[in-house]
Amino acid sequence: MGLLSIIRKIKRKEKEMRILMVGLDNSGKTTIVLKINGEDTSVISPTLGFNIKTIKYHKYSLNIWDVGGQKTIRSYWRNYFEQTDGLVWVVDSSDIRRLDDCRAELHNLLKEERLAGSSLLVFANKQDIQGALKPSEIAKDLIGRTTADASQWPMLVID
Amino acid sequence: MEPEPDHTKAAAAAGAGNRKHLAMLERLSKRAVILSPDSNSSDASPVTTFLSCFAAAKLAAESALSACRSSPEDAPSSLATAAAAIDDLDRLVAEASHSLPPYELRSALAAVSDLRAAHRLAASDLRPKKSFSFRNKSKAPNKPPQDPPTLPPPPPEQPKPNVQVILPGFGFRGRKDTTLLKDLRVSDEKDGDFTLTDLVSCEVHLKGKWRALYVHKLKDCRVFVGAVFGSVLIENVEHCTFVMAAHQIRIHEVRATDFYLRARSRPIIEDCSGVRFAPHALKYKGIEDDLRDAGLEEETGNWANVDDFKWLRAVQSPNWCLIPEEERLQTIEISDVQDREDDK
Repeated sequence: MGLLSIIRKIKRKEKEMRILMVGLDNSGKTTIVLKINGEDTSVISPTLGFNIKTIKYHKYSLNIWDVGGQKTIRSYWRNYFEQTDGLVWVVDSSDIRRLDDCRAELHNLLKEERLAGSSLLVFANKQDIQGALKPSEIAKDLIGRTTADASQWPMLVID
Repeated sequence: MEPEPDHTKAAAAAGAGNRKHLAMLERLSKRAVILSPDSNSSDASPVTTFLSCFAAAKLAAESALSACRSSPEDAPSSLATAAAAIDDLDRLVAEASHSLPPYELRSALAAVSDLRAAHRLAASDLRPKKSFSFRNKSKAPNKPPQDPPTLPPPPPEQPKPNVQVILPGFGFRGRKDTTLLKDLRVSDEKDGDFTLTDLVSCEVHLKGKWRALYVHKLKDCRVFVGAVFGSVLIENVEHCTFVMAAHQIRIHEVRATDFYLRARSRPIIEDCSGVRFAPHALKYKGIEDDLRDAGLEEETGNWANVDDFKWLRAVQSPNWCLIPEEERLQTIEISDVQDREDDK
């Protein structure tokens, strides 16, 4: 259908990207988004539901979906998977006790078919905390244990 | 009868552009087809004809889609039927697009794209897309056949390291019946992250400005904390009392515990019962400076604005309440509390 394909082409030119921020509660997702956007981070309540920020970057328009990470609302993450271009998995590098939870939740996500084809970024947050795990340790723990996943998901760690 | 096309309008449009002129010609030729004697719907307008054909094809597509949902074993054939029906719809819309009023055209296009989306969804449920993976294109085809494509055996589950061993440096853990004191202002550690784990019947005093606090597995304890300018995470606690000021407070799996809080943001509870809240009430020499430096000098009243993630309704959660004023502790003075044992 001619009209539809024209509309699709126009949409593609706009270069809209949908970025989904997820991770356990207390990992700092909302803080990261507000920081990137240059907003005040002094009063942030634990996210109940989600926030959306649109950030312009060169010719891209990034729609960042920051979704709450509390255990009760993790089951709603799936509602945001459709048409996600990039997935940012935020880790509290100092919360070693809950690293098992963190790994289990991430692997649940990686099984999700609707996320196949989107890129994964693991954000090793809270590196400034003494005793925090190094990015390489986080990578090994979260991804390294299942070699199959490691080869499927390109990964970049920011200090 | 066939309604006459608006000739004046059509003429104006044709004047406006060659494309519209062509459209008009096409519309006229279509009218000729409809008016031809072998057409059995010559008394209906093209719009009505289109709408009835469209509705029939749409019904076929929808029933095929619902069939593949109801009987998964026949799903592949139902999917193919649905795809064919949707293609029919596309063709119908394309053919009729010149004679359709804008509204009908728009709604028809929307219906088709909805069906396409539903079909895509059903198809992806049925045969999941292959996950993205890097492939080595230069892989020689003459390689000896690999063993059956089983996944490599999962690495043996590593014995879980003892949590106490791997927790970050600072903290009190595994203590019983004692008073624990840490004053960040006199210690040489500039970092202010602290962990309290596995404490029973302890009294804990943390003075100074803390960056983050992790609390896990406490029973029958009293915990007094100066100012936390980051977040506090409290899990698995029962029969305790906390007095603290912090920017962010998360409380998980806590039973029968009182919190005297000052918080910049709304405290949250999850999987808790019998937790009660009251305003911050702590004094020690210099606490005003700690609170001010941590941005916590102002009483926001958020100690009473608790969000219960297990009770997302307008009515009050049964899991928490405010401490009645007559039951509240007096302001607690901890200036002179000494370590009961040498901790360092």
